[in-house]
Amino acid sequence: MKSHRSYPFYFVLAALVLYVTFFIIPSLSGIAYSFTDWSGYSDEVEFVGLDNFRTILSPDENYLSFIGNTLLFTFWTIIIKTVFGLALALLLNQGVRWFVNGYRVLIYLPVILPTLVVALIFRSILDPASGLLNSALRGIGLDALALPWLTDPRIALYSVIGVDSWKGIGYIMVILLAGLQTIPKDLYEAASIDGASAWAKFRFITLPMLMPALMIVTVLNVLYGLRVFDIVYALTNGGPGYATEVLSTEIFKAFSKGQFGLGTAISSILFLILVVTGYLVIRVMERQSDRE
Amino acid sequence: MTATCNTTSTARGAMHRLALAGVSCLVFALTGSASFAADKVTLTYMASQDWVKDAEQTLAKKFEEKTGIAIDFQILPSGQYFNVLQTKLNSGEGPDLFGGQSGVTDLKLQYNVEKNAVDLTNEPWATKEDKLVAAQSTLGGKLYGLTYWDVLGNTWVISYNKKLFAQYGLSEPKTYAEFKAACQKLLDNGVQPIYEPVADGWHHVLWFPELGPRFEQVTPGLADALNANKATFAGNPTMLSAVTELKEMFDLGYMGKNALADVYTGASKAMASGKVGMVLANTGFGSLVEHDYPDMKASDIGVFLMPLADNQQVNINPAGPTHFIYSGSAHVDAAKQYLAFLAEPENVDYFIDNTPTAMTLPFDGAKSKFSPDVQALFDSHKDARGTVYQTAVAYVNPQWMDLGADLTAMFTGSMGPDKVLANIDKRRADLAKAARDPAWKK
Repeated sequence: MKSHRSYPFYFVLAALVLYVTFFIIPSLSGIAYSFTDWSGYSDEVEFVGLDNFRTILSPDENYLSFIGNTLLFTFWTIIIKTVFGLALALLLNQGVRWFVNGYRVLIYLPVILPTLVVALIFRSILDPASGLLNSALRGIGLDALALPWLTDPRIALYSVIGVDSWKGIGYIMVILLAGLQTIPKDLYEAASIDGASAWAKFRFITLPMLMPALMIVTVLNVLYGLRVFDIVYALTNGGPGYATEVLSTEIFKAFSKGQFGLGTAISSILFLILVVTGYLVIRVMERQSDRE
Repeated sequence: MTATCNTTSTARGAMHRLALAGVSCLVFALTGSASFAADKVTLTYMASQDWVKDAEQTLAKKFEEKTGIAIDFQILPSGQYFNVLQTKLNSGEGPDLFGGQSGVTDLKLQYNVEKNAVDLTNEPWATKEDKLVAAQSTLGGKLYGLTYWDVLGNTWVISYNKKLFAQYGLSEPKTYAEFKAACQKLLDNGVQPIYEPVADGWHHVLWFPELGPRFEQVTPGLADALNANKATFAGNPTMLSAVTELKEMFDLGYMGKNALADVYTGASKAMASGKVGMVLANTGFGSLVEHDYPDMKASDIGVFLMPLADNQQVNINPAGPTHFIYSGSAHVDAAKQYLAFLAEPENVDYFIDNTPTAMTLPFDGAKSKFSPDVQALFDSHKDARGTVYQTAVAYVNPQWMDLGADLTAMFTGSMGPDKVLANIDKRRADLAKAARDPAWKK
């Protein structure tokens, strides 16, 4: 008796045709166009080899700093969202006894706000002269901390990271909370009987059991962070100067300026970074999970 | 039984007729309303913030009352406008009407009007438009846009608070050294010398290419040499002076502490507050301030030329925000009607009367309302004027926002003035090569 039943290949044909037509071919075309000088200023398209990639990787251009900004944004948003998301999830799972659903809604609320709305609100809050944050800081005598949050190139990217983390923590918290609720209670009871401290329970029960959820949030954060566009575009538009420019905003600008060849080359580099980083993150976390 | 059947049959027939009548009424009502809806045309007009004045919106309502054609204004923040518009044009999803800067290079490179815009050469208003201005909307002998903007009076000059200048014994500076001394004096007395809205990304750029007539005065024929790829921005001492002086103004705090967060829409408020000495603005700025803040009169605001690189040439720009009809629009005729309506003499005068910043419009017979100060400035510089470089030199205007980002980077210390100039050359070369410009072919 057969345990598996094979279906004929033509069952997947329709889906495969759609996938190839609308995903594989455009993706490959994009990579192919990255080797051309395709632009909105001329109908002729010429093969230029690696010229676009040379431009992007040239130290005389700003593209390397855009790649750096993208990686920095991704790194810090992962750390902040995961740490605070986990802390809030732990609090809501064990620490808070009443109004739990209310807290969940409040913490999740920023996630459902449109990014543009969040950006407009924070542009107002972070205005150096009349913003709520600096007014409050000056009001309590902390004038030295009243900084030009979005206009000082040294801190603008971190301000964007802060705003994005504020918006995204609720999403991470919900995933981690779901993960926490799948951990059997008897493990903690057994550990308590054995005299385990709270830290020991967290280290040897919560963390290993939460590893699948942590892997999901890390991968999601990596993919989101590397492709970030809307919050940067709406908050600073890549400025001041190029201090907060990331790959996706630059791709948008290249395309909107009609520099299609260059835009597809930047897209190809972003694609490569996404694949390599995603693969590395999954491998590292799988290894960690196996060790636990 | 038969009677019953007949009665039932009659009742069914009545029901059928009733149902048929009902359906007919419904179909009639639906087709009637569909037909009515089909007659109602709404044109979308996409433009950058500041380009659509209140007076035009009022005229659009009058146009709707007259023709039944409504105008849906889609006004975008200036820092994002070009990106969004070009994305729409490049993806073939343009609005019925779109705003754009005229200028021959821009027509081709920024908007590709031969593909994206409708030929308006034979429109009734075309012959009434100022020829210098119309030339900036013309490509290959075809007129593509209606420039509904005070380009002739839209000279960017430094507007200053006369009372503050008098209070601190300052006179109108004619050199950079005098300008710097005036700024320092104001700063020392607790007055912000200049309100410079860098956050918009476009305004602080004006300080450089608007000095084109000065560059041309120092190096006659420079614009032609640049267009022929026989000269560069980098290495030009006058240009380097201008950019270096601009950085010095920022570094010395003359633009205020919040210049990087300030926006141009706040300029009239800043001037009216009496806490700011100067604003780089167009010639109608005094009227705008009086309109927005009646306590300050237009006559309280004087004007002088941008004195970077010791400039004393009037900077004329015959190009400006222009209305184009998108070639892919389903309502080209309706859009043409709207432009013709705007260009009617009584509507031109209405626009001038009701737009504080508009001193005139570039149409035959349009009225003029320059202030005595501005008129005096123009009169005293009749033989000292020229065309700004964003119009005179190819491939400068399309990189306006990039140049803005570079200048901001220069202000914040991550780029030097020489690199700013080198980047202009680099982008010009890229654009020229992309456009297959013969002057850039090896």
